[in-house]
Amino acid sequence: MKLIKLASAFALSAAVATSVFAADTVKIGVQAPITGKYANEGQGIDNFVRLIVDEKNKEGGLLGKKIEVVTCDDEAKAQKAAVCAKKLANAGVFAVIGSYTSGATEAAQTTYYRNKILQTSDGTSDSLIKRKYWTFFRNSFPNSAQGEFTADYFVNQKKYKRIAILSDYSSYADGLANSVEDSVKKLGGNVAFRGKIKSGTQNFTAILTKIKALNPDVIYYSGYYTDGGLLRVQQQQLGIKADFVGGDSNDNPDFLKLAGDAAEGVYLVNVPTPDILPYEAAKKYLTAYEARFNMKPPSIWAVVNADGLRAVMEGVEKTNSFDTKKISEYIRNDMKDFPGITGPFNIREDGERVGASLMVYQIQEDGSYKVSFNK
Amino acid sequence: MDIFLQQLINGLTIGSLYALVALGYTMVYGVMKLINFAHGDLVAFSAYVGLTIFTQFFGASAVSFVNVIIIFLLTAIIIAFVGVLLERLAYRPLRTAPRLSAVVSALGAALVIQNGIMLIWGPNMQIFPSDILPSTTWNISGVIMTFTQVCILVLSAVLMIALYFFINKTKIGTAIRATAIDQDAAKLMGINVNRIIMIIFVVGSMLGAIGGLFIGIYYRSLTFDMGWVYGLNAFIAAIIGGIGSIPGAMIGGLLLGLFNALIAGYISTQWAETLTFVLLIIILIVRPTGILGEKTAEKV
Repeated sequence: MKLIKLASAFALSAAVATSVFAADTVKIGVQAPITGKYANEGQGIDNFVRLIVDEKNKEGGLLGKKIEVVTCDDEAKAQKAAVCAKKLANAGVFAVIGSYTSGATEAAQTTYYRNKILQTSDGTSDSLIKRKYWTFFRNSFPNSAQGEFTADYFVNQKKYKRIAILSDYSSYADGLANSVEDSVKKLGGNVAFRGKIKSGTQNFTAILTKIKALNPDVIYYSGYYTDGGLLRVQQQQLGIKADFVGGDSNDNPDFLKLAGDAAEGVYLVNVPTPDILPYEAAKKYLTAYEARFNMKPPSIWAVVNADGLRAVMEGVEKTNSFDTKKISEYIRNDMKDFPGITGPFNIREDGERVGASLMVYQIQEDGSYKVSFNK
Repeated sequence: MDIFLQQLINGLTIGSLYALVALGYTMVYGVMKLINFAHGDLVAFSAYVGLTIFTQFFGASAVSFVNVIIIFLLTAIIIAFVGVLLERLAYRPLRTAPRLSAVVSALGAALVIQNGIMLIWGPNMQIFPSDILPSTTWNISGVIMTFTQVCILVLSAVLMIALYFFINKTKIGTAIRATAIDQDAAKLMGINVNRIIMIIFVVGSMLGAIGGLFIGIYYRSLTFDMGWVYGLNAFIAAIIGGIGSIPGAMIGGLLLGLFNALIAGYISTQWAETLTFVLLIIILIVRPTGILGEKTAEKV
């Protein structure tokens, strides 16, 4: 009790200290990896949030209040994420967008829950919704959905006979790889190899050579693009003739840069890429993003987070309050087919997003994507 | 069999890189009895410098063989200069101080370089272009070797042999060995110890710079804190081989790379690192001075 009092006292003093116009502004937090390995994804999230907030402020703000964005860099590290959560709570935000990685999102969840702050993330770990926090909802699909989709593609579409599955040690990638493995086995497919690499070690030749001996049809990697690009290069250098399929976190411009010529022919599993989103909102916001930042969003993840933010704003306007409990109930129960940039979606009672289509892309010689499977 | 040979090549490639970096540690220790903890970060710095030279001067033009050599030489010279500067600022004032002070200074210098990289190039991952060296590969009955791998293996072997002759067959080499045995006596014999130490830093930094450039070209991705990992591995390689021994550093580096690849290939990829170090600890228990380290009689 004492702690809560202290915390609220802190929050109050922070709020008073930061702004003289406290009454006329509301704060929205961004927790994302602004620096570090996944910096371009984090910056993409931050940029998109600011784009939408500025637009809202031009229209007169939320319920007549100006929105202020407070960004905290979690470097995609759990420890930093916990610090960020406290920082943003003390700054007095009512909602937080982020983070990019499931690990950093999970590390901050409890703090937001205790402070009744809404949190929405693109994290896809199934574990993110297991605590049943009413403060949290997901703006992306869960790993299990992607796992089933990928396995179906491997076994029924591609008819791969020998499948090698790799992940790193992160909760997200490990969970996704396990999900793919289980689903492949359920469909009667053959997982010839399941291994883990340490993210950032750069040298994967030993494990790839081991895989080579098993002569697989496909190497699937569920981790992030920073390692995925290198895996692909070293796969080619070792002359392993298997297809390379990357999970959604490989979908990043840096994957192409890292892999160089080796990127050609790689398959990526993800929700629709930003530039082929056929929705009204997509055209509008992606054009605005490009005009303002002179580049495309780094990946779909910035875009789904923007949808999370838009859902929160919708909740504020529809309930006509900043009461996070009410907003959360609105988003979960009353919001029907919200016209997201990434397509219409609903949020289930447990905070799971309903309504996300997955696709498989193949990277072409010029680095562009071609849809090769769409279900 | 071809899989075994492939693992051998994998291990030797990374081992050669460790060995190149380990030489810098072992030379400095041999002469000054100091572990230069900043060496790993200097190696990382060299990769960034090389990348910048490449993008600034040769980014637009096709990379010719001559240009690659220019990049390597320029980088090596710049890093040698930084190495000498490091010795002047961080180590020379502490040469007669207790050894712990010099170690702390070395750790401080490592942090300065690491944060310097972060401030100059930013905290985000930097990516080496993939077309610096030709992407030729050779397939010898199932064993694949890339042009870059061959370059690493051949060039590091040549450099190590050259260094061995430089230390053992030249006048400066003799002076270096004399300084390593006893600085004061060397001074009395008319050897300029300051100059010798400068030469050590020049040679060690240059070898590290070539190692760092190869790390960049071979692995393509650079992070500002990568120096610590390579530095640590190279430092361990130097200890295994016997710190202060030049052939020891080479053997230590190659062994470390080989152990890692073979354990990953034949026992467990997930335990490779752990088991490698267990093995190394066992080696040190059996031979505390390292494989080629000599038992030096303590002066009484």
